[in-house]
Formats: sequence, C-alpha cells, structure tokens
Amino acid sequence: MTSVRTFFVLAAASVLPLAACAEVAGEADGDTSDASTASGAQADSLTVGTTDVVTALDPAGSWDLGSAVLHGQIYRWLLTSEPGSTDPVPDVAETAEFTAPDEYTVTIRPDQKFANGNDLTASDVKFSFERLVGINDPNGPAQLLGDLKSIETPDDHTVVFLLNSDNNVLWPQILTSPAGYILDEESFPADNLATDAEIVEANAFGGQYAMTNYSANQHAVMTRNDLYDGLLGSAQTKDVTFQYYTDASNLKLDIEQGQVDVAYRTLGATAVADLANKDGVKVHLGPGAELRYFVFNAETAPYGSATDEPDPDKALAVRQAVADLVDREALAEDVYQGTYQPVYSVVPSALDGAVDSYLDAYGDGSGGPDAERAADRLSEAGVETPVTLNLQYNNDHYGESAADEYAMIKSQLEADGLFTVNVQSTVWSEYSNGYRNDEYPLYQLGWFTDYPDADNYLNLVYGSDAVESILGKANEDPTTNELIEQSRLETDAAARADLLGQAQDALADYLPIVPLLQGQDVIVARSNVQGVEETQDPSFRFRVGLLSKTD
Amino acid sequence: MTVTPDQVESPGRLRGVGSLGRYVLLRFLLIFPTVLILVSMVFVVMRVAGDPITASMGGRLTAEQLEQRLTEAGYNRPILVQYLDYLGDLARGDFGRTTDNQAITEVLITYGTATLELAVYAGLLAMLIGIPLGRFAAYHRDRASDAVFRVLAILAYATPVFFAGLLLKLVFSVWLGWLPLGGRASTQTQISLGTIPGASGLLTVDALRTGRADLIGDVFSHLVLPAVALGLLTAGVFVRLVRTNMISTLSMPYVDAARSRGVRESRLVRTHAYRPALIPIVTVMGMQLALMLGGAILTETTFEWRGLGFELARYLAARDYVAVQGIVALLAVIVALTNFLVDVVAAFIDPRVRY
Amino acid sequence: MATVVQEPRQRRGWTDLPVVWHVRHSAGLQRGMLIAGLVLVLGIVLVAVLAPFLAPYSHAQMSGAAGPFPRHAPPSGEHIWGTTVGGYDVFSRTLWGTRTALLTVLMAVSASLVLGVGLGLVSGFFGGPLDRVLVMLADAVYAFPALLLAIVVSIVISGGQSSYFGGVLSAAIAISVIFIPQFFRVVRAETLQVKAEPFVEAARVFGMPRTRILRRHVLRNTTRSIPLIITLNAAESILTLAALGFLGFGIDPTAAAEWGYDLNRAVADTSSGIWWTGVFPGSAIVLLVLGVTLVGESLTDISDPRLRRRRHRGRKKA
Repeated sequence: MTSVRTFFVLAAASVLPLAACAEVAGEADGDTSDASTASGAQADSLTVGTTDVVTALDPAGSWDLGSAVLHGQIYRWLLTSEPGSTDPVPDVAETAEFTAPDEYTVTIRPDQKFANGNDLTASDVKFSFERLVGINDPNGPAQLLGDLKSIETPDDHTVVFLLNSDNNVLWPQILTSPAGYILDEESFPADNLATDAEIVEANAFGGQYAMTNYSANQHAVMTRNDLYDGLLGSAQTKDVTFQYYTDASNLKLDIEQGQVDVAYRTLGATAVADLANKDGVKVHLGPGAELRYFVFNAETAPYGSATDEPDPDKALAVRQAVADLVDREALAEDVYQGTYQPVYSVVPSALDGAVDSYLDAYGDGSGGPDAERAADRLSEAGVETPVTLNLQYNNDHYGESAADEYAMIKSQLEADGLFTVNVQSTVWSEYSNGYRNDEYPLYQLGWFTDYPDADNYLNLVYGSDAVESILGKANEDPTTNELIEQSRLETDAAARADLLGQAQDALADYLPIVPLLQGQDVIVARSNVQGVEETQDPSFRFRVGLLSKTD
Repeated sequence: MTVTPDQVESPGRLRGVGSLGRYVLLRFLLIFPTVLILVSMVFVVMRVAGDPITASMGGRLTAEQLEQRLTEAGYNRPILVQYLDYLGDLARGDFGRTTDNQAITEVLITYGTATLELAVYAGLLAMLIGIPLGRFAAYHRDRASDAVFRVLAILAYATPVFFAGLLLKLVFSVWLGWLPLGGRASTQTQISLGTIPGASGLLTVDALRTGRADLIGDVFSHLVLPAVALGLLTAGVFVRLVRTNMISTLSMPYVDAARSRGVRESRLVRTHAYRPALIPIVTVMGMQLALMLGGAILTETTFEWRGLGFELARYLAARDYVAVQGIVALLAVIVALTNFLVDVVAAFIDPRVRY
Repeated sequence: MATVVQEPRQRRGWTDLPVVWHVRHSAGLQRGMLIAGLVLVLGIVLVAVLAPFLAPYSHAQMSGAAGPFPRHAPPSGEHIWGTTVGGYDVFSRTLWGTRTALLTVLMAVSASLVLGVGLGLVSGFFGGPLDRVLVMLADAVYAFPALLLAIVVSIVISGGQSSYFGGVLSAAIAISVIFIPQFFRVVRAETLQVKAEPFVEAARVFGMPRTRILRRHVLRNTTRSIPLIITLNAAESILTLAALGFLGFGIDPTAAAEWGYDLNRAVADTSSGIWWTGVFPGSAIVLLVLGVTLVGESLTDISDPRLRRRRHRGRKKA
C-alpha cells in the first residue's frame, strides 16, 4: 500500500489551479535534471511490452482494453482524472458543469492544438461525439453515449451537451471514458472509420504522445507531443515504443533480459512470481479494474425457470450453496499466486462505494468456504444432493489460467459431495454468442471498467425496459434495478454511496452472479524505470508519459 | 514414401512426338478441377461452421442488428449464390476482406513473404543435412551407423515441431540466453528495415542490403531456432527418402552388372545410384514444400513467426472464415501447382509416366 | 494391429499373419528395429491398460491425503515428474494420456480402414464414372493441408467445445478424412492388378457373384501394403491429436489427460526455466510415434525384396 501514499502526495501537488499546470511540469523537469546529475542521465526512449491486442487506432472502431491503453497515450479527453484520483477534472475543458438538469456545459481552454498544429475547438468536440454515435460501429463504444440527445456549440469555446435524463451524475465520468476522445474534424472522416495508416499520416493526436510509426499488433512508435498542454504536463520520456507480443513467455524473457523496459499486461502468474525474485526488475502491484465472476443462468441453472423442475426456492438454495463453497483465497493464491485478490462484491474494493456484501452473506462469514452451511441450505430447501452443475468457461479471452481456476472451482464444489461439476471450455468466438443464447447454465465472465465508478460494475446486472442486462432479462432483479436507478439521479455523494451499497446488498441476496477475484494492476519494470507507482491508481489508466528511465 | 505420380489417369492412346506436350497440357488442365474441389471443400466446411459476422459480433448485437448486417454482407442469400459469387471473385483475384477490414490479398503478400523466408532457409538446411546423411546411410546400409541415422530420421518425424521448439527454446533461449525466444526480428530492427526504400519484406535480404552488422545479426539470430527446428525435422524425411531410393537403385540390374565388373561400391554410390535416385527425391521435395506450408501453422505459432500460418491460427481462433478461406485457397493453388511441376519433371525424365 | 488385417489367401497358420511373418523373415538390424518398435508400442498399450494401477493419481487430481498439491513443484518423491501450473501430477497425466492417444488411434484407423479399403475395392473393381469421381476427390483431399483440415473438422464437430469425446472424435474424423484417400489409392491400384489375374477371370466365368469375388479373391490379395499404411495412419493420428491440443482445439484438462494440451500449457513455463511440465508429455508423444513408425519402416523394408537385408551381403569393407 505504499503506492497509495505516493498518490496522495502527487494528488496534493496537482490539485492546483489549472493555470499552474505548466509550472508544475516545469518543476518536474527541474527535478529530473537534478536527479540526473546524481544517478545517470535520463534516457530518451522507453519500450513497453504488452500482450494486449489493439482492434483499431480509430476510437470509434474499438472498445476494448488493449485499444484503450494505446488511445489513452495519443488522444485527449474533455475531462480526465488526475493521477491518484478517480474524480473527473477538466483537461481540454476549462470548466464543466450542469447548467440545467439535462444540460451539461463545457467551456474549452483557449489555444489547444493537435500535434499537426490544427486548433482544437468546440466544433471538434461536437464532431467527435456525433461521429461516434453516427458510425455506431459494433466494435465501438457508441452505446456509452446512450443518454446523449444532442450537442450545441454556441461559440468556438463552448459545448453544450443536451441529455435525455435529468441529473445524470455519471455524465462527467462518461466524458473520461473511451467514448470521450476529442478528434480533429479536419483529419478524421465523418461517416466511416479511418484506417490506421490514415490516422498516423494525419498526425491529429491530442494526447501526450503522437504516433509516428504503427504496425498493427506489432509495434507502435510514439514521440512526445510538444503541442500537448494538458493536465498531465509534458511526457517524461521523449520516445516511447509499445511492442506487442502474442506469447507472454516471450515478453517475460524480454523484460528479464532488458529488451523491454516495462511489461504491462499480461504476464502469467508463474512469470510474475519468477520475475519477483530476479535482479534488475521490479514487480509493481496496484489496484486493478478487472473483475472475474461466474453467472447462473436464471432459466437453465438447476431448478431454473426453463428446467423440468422449476423451483425458485431450490434454485436460490443451490446458488447460495455454491457461493458458500467457493474459496476465493485459494484461487487467488494458488492459481494466480497473488496477482489477483478475492472480491466480495461486484465492485472492486478500490472504488468508492464498494461494500463486501458477499462476505457476511456466504461462507464462514470471514471469506472462507463453509460446507456445513451449504449442506444445511440445500437440505432445508429439500434439494437432493449431489446437484449436477454444468460450468462453462473460456480459454482464450480471460487468460490461460482460467483452465486452472475452473478446475479448482470444480474441486472446491465437489469436495464435500454436494455437487457434481462438469467443466468445459469454449473458444471466445463461440462463447460470446453461447452465453447470450442461454447455452450455458453456469458460465464464467469478466469485466473491465470504462470509467472508474462503482456504477459501471453494477451496470452489469442492470436492465431497463429499453435495454436488457447483458446477463439476460431473466437474471434481472427489480429491487437492484430500482436502487441503481435511484443512485444515478442522486447528486449527494454520501447518499449515492449509500444507495450503491444497498444495491450491492440486494444483488448479493438475489445472487445471479458469484464474484470471485479482482485483478491487480501488475506492471513489471526494469529497476531503472521511475514513475510506475504514479500511474497505478484506482482510475486504472496506464499513463506512459509519467514513466522515465535513467541510463 | 516414394511418390508415384499416379494422380493422372492414363490419357489413353497418346502416341508420337507430341505426347509429352499433350501430357503436360492435360496435366495442367487437371490443376483446375483440383483447385476447384479444394476451394469448394473449404467453402462448404466453413459455411457449415458458421458465418464470420455472427462469430465476431454475435455477442454485441441484438438479433435484428445482426440480421441486418448479415443481409448487408450477403450471408443471408442462398448458399449456392454465395458460392458462385465467391468463385467469381476468386477468379478475378479478389480474395475478399477480413473482418478487421484488411484486403486478404494484402495479408497474403505481407505474411506470405515471412512464410516463404522461413521455408527457404529451413528447406536449404534440410537439404544440406538430409541428402548427405541419406547417402551415407545407404552406403553403410545395415550397419550400426545406418541404423543410427535411420532412427534419428524417424525421431525427427516423430517429434512434433512444437515440442522440438520448446526444447530448443528451453536450452538456447532460457538456459543459455544465446538466442531470442521468438519473433522475426526485434522491434527496433523491424522499424529500421521497414523504412528502407524498396523493402522486400524478406528481412534477411533487407538486412543484408543495409549492410549493418547489428541488423543482420539481429535478423539471423531470430531465424536460427525456427529454421533449425523446421529444417531438422524436414531433414529426417529427406534422409529416409534418399536412403530408400538409393538402395532401390543400387539393387537395379545395371548396378549389379557394374558391381560384377568390379566397380567399387563407393563409386557405384556416387555415380550409378545417386543421380537416378535424385529424381524421386526432387519430386518428393516439391511435395515437402507444400507440406511445410500446411505445417506452417504449428511452426509459426511456436516461434511467434508472423507469417501466413501464424495469421491463419489467429483467424481460425477469431472464426474469420473469409480470411481462412483466402489463405487456404492460396495454399491450395500453391500445392496444386507444385504437384503439377513435380509430375511434369517426372514425366520429362521418365517417359513411362506419360502412358 | 495384426487382428484388423486380413490374412493372406492361403491360410497356413498364425505365423503367416503380417507382422509375425515379418518378424520371422527379418534379420539383424531390421529385426532389431522391428522388435524395438513392437516393444515400444506394446509397452505403451500396456501402460494404457494398466494406467489405473500405475498412475499414483487421477488425471485431474489436484490434492491428495496431505492437502492440495503444490503448483509447479519440481520432480520429487511425492511427484516423481513434478506438478503443473494447475497442480496436476505430470507423471499421472502423462500415463493417462496414453489412453486418449490410443483411443484416437483406434477410432481413426478403424474408420479409415473400413471406408478406404471398401471404396478402393469398389472403385477399382467396377471402374466407370464413380471411379473417376472418387479418384479426383481422393487427389484433392490428398493435396489438402492435413492439419488445417483437422482444425476445421474439429471446429465443426465440437463447435469450440472441449469435451473428451468431442476432442477425440474430431481428431479421429479429421485423420480419417485424410487417410481414407491413402487406403483408397493403394487398394484401388492393387485391385486393378488383381482384377486382371486369371483366377479372378475364372471365377467370373464360373458365374460367381461379384460381391463374392470381391470378398473371396480380390480383398485377400490386395492387403499387402495395408499394415504399412496403418502404421502411418496411427502415427499421424497421434501427431494430429497433439497438434490440435497444442493449438487450443483440444480436450479440457478435467475431462481427460492429453499431451498436446499439456505442451500448450508448458510453453508459458519454459521462460521461467520450468522444464518438467513439457519434457515428459512431449517425450511420450515422441516415443509412441517412434514405436509405431519403427514398426512401419521395418515392415516396408522386409516386404520389399530390394530393401530386405540379404544375409550373404553386408560384410563389406568399411
């Protein structure tokens, strides 16, 4: 938890008025030159290795973590969070506030430019959002902007977002999400996606870095964007290369041997454990955004509504017994060697409003499994044991350790003879259709956040009349839905946190899903790399511009 | 493993001077039905497996949106119409586009060079090792050294390339730290080589053209393990092939006649048996190229060698059937062409084949 | 393997069965290779049969009397070949893996044998347009990259699932698709030859039904090279099953032990210097294929008079 203290210091330093930002950056430069006299010169270049996959450079055509990490370095938002915090604060914006319940007005700082010299004005903002919604690419994040009705630009420096709902407290967060990048209207086509080559050619980058050479899923070469004048200050290292691996063991060997300076996502647990004992590299653990859980299909799980013997009480008893038997600590330690942590809510514990609802409700009450409790629940409800469970997981989307994770869950559930578990895996392209088509009674899923707010995790189980939950209509719970809706309109922070807590409790009672593990942000860096802790915060944004390296 | 070019139905009563020409023409025409059958097989099998849009986006779209996209892309048309359409596009050299919107012809060119590069080096290595060893084994047949080479050759066949790769990587990359684990070159080298004018995509050629020792060293150090793994395993096939064929020719009556005239055994091997034995060897080597392409998916996955096989594995995992179809169609054409050339060479050398 | 092979025309006792005949008619190194191959194959079959007694743990066991197994434990007294990342005992999984491999071989060989021989006989004996179409199809399939076909077949059959039967079945079917043409070609060619023999002609003149001629006379005389193809077929089945498992189209570890899957998981271990998770299952593949191929190679040599070792020769100068 030393990293948390670092956040605090840094946050304090940068909660200065924005005008002082340039000065702060200047000081930072001064600091590093001091440091350089002491311990070698600061290097001009830094290489980051990753096994992530980038779908597209065009933000309108990608909505996945690999793309988001890269986009975060080269594009800019109206609002973003400061290192160490999750609260949206102005970046391209000068001010941003609700001017009416359904009207969010943003004024833009003067003299903001893209890397190619084009001005960043209100009309670029309007263009970016309308383009995203207009193209509505199935791989894109357009659905995050579901609440957007229209955009007006009274002048060059003012943007007014007109929203469908009143008091949408999440709107500022959405402006910091992958749906909120500001693009240059002179460089991007309005009606269709730009190709990777066109984007590099146009050099219309607003972030700390501008991309100079890109080969999809092989490498991305970026250089400091000198026209960037935003919240984060000038990037620490001049040239940064992202190197994409398909095989994590190659990445592991390269970081060990110093071919890359930073390994960011995703080294296997074995590799991380091995590297922790190696000289020359350091393993940094920070709070993570990833949630691993499994879902009961309300229709096809034992005693579900579409089975031969539908019985809501027995179905609930089965779900509760499963929740009683899962040993998260063992999964985290044995399968993931501490690179994941147990989680007792759908909301990762680093986020405001997270409540450990599952901790008291299930197992031995302190996080461990409780076979007796499970057996009692089943016999009280009159469920014959052993109950057969068909548990499906995926082996190419959630990391290869998923096989070990689910083999272990199988043995945990079977240990006391209450369940017989058949475990099967399916490749992602089939799996992503299969779970929606009710093919799997119990199935694994994972979740990454779009913006660092508890709501984004609760949204998993939320469904409205218009849009059903991604877990299916049958898995929705009216009480939980109601509480989530109330929290979205609650502007008072404490009252909102309370509602979010109640929603998590309601979810744990209804128990459509069993949250298992939360990811930690694992960054392995060479020992001469500085600034890693600063980028590991609950906002889960990887900012390569904060990293520097001494030769 | 001797290949008899009996794919060809006897063309009937062909006689006279023009028979070789007619054979070649007939054999050439036979390429088309072969390719057609292959491509059709892929098409049918892939369509049974599903359509690329449902596979890639099914989870993200509502049923209506999915339906609309399927209609737009033409996957809702009768399968026969789609099939004829696909054949028409292929005939015009249009392989279609991947689901991430790359032209498949581009993919074939970009990654085909990588696959070609590895195949060439591995093939050279296999020949340099396999042919002399096969000769040696034939010469010393039934003695201990022959047995050793034969068992080694069978071992090479019995070892899957991914297991050989695992062992090589374990020893040379992890324990000794001499060679990189995978990839075609380090990122910096790839960037440097990508910017030289007229880059061929064959990294060894491009690196040699720059004349920079660091680039050349980097490219070749990445090439060593995959080329050795694939080369050694292929060499095993060559050893067996050369040995069997040489022993066959060594027991031909004309060789026996020479032997009875007192020609020394080593000279027999060198002059009488070696050249005739080379004919079937050459034909099988042609087939071996085709096999290498088919096996590229394993080699390239093992060594993260970004060629056609590597991409094929990726597209298969993503169920991008159009891309898979495209790559397989190209492989089919190459295999059919190779078989054609092999048969023509065989017919040219041995007139009996023609009848 | 000998049981599936048809006997030669004139029955003279068990010593005339293929393989047995081969052992008796071999000498020196050839006999050594053949016997070594047979010993390897029979040994592995024995391991598969006795797996429940030989293997200390089950294929998916993760804990024993002394609590959960350690993960990535190096070879020790408790786990003589160490444990995997999932906490499985490598020794047990390697032993159980023989069953998966041999089941695949059995299914693939019997399917391709029945269909390939049947089609080859019919095609060669009756000729005509059916024959031409079959020959063309066989050639096309023969030219198709085998592994690719296997992957596609496995996608279609198992729909991306990882069940035990689905995994074995898709490897077996894929291999059959590839080997049917091989049996077909050989049997067809030999049928063409036998058809022209006087005794077949005579049987026809005497009005024997054609199916009976096929069964009694042609089939028995066309089976010379079949044992060789069977060994090739078996070797390819093992390699294909392993390749499918390695590429992630395999069987879930809780459903069965499969060497290719274990190698797939071992790749990530190599970079941390963990060798025991890959070396043992990999060696198992090599040994089984080696055994089968040694048998096949020796059979080829011994059946071919030109390659058969001649006893009077071979004592030449070095």
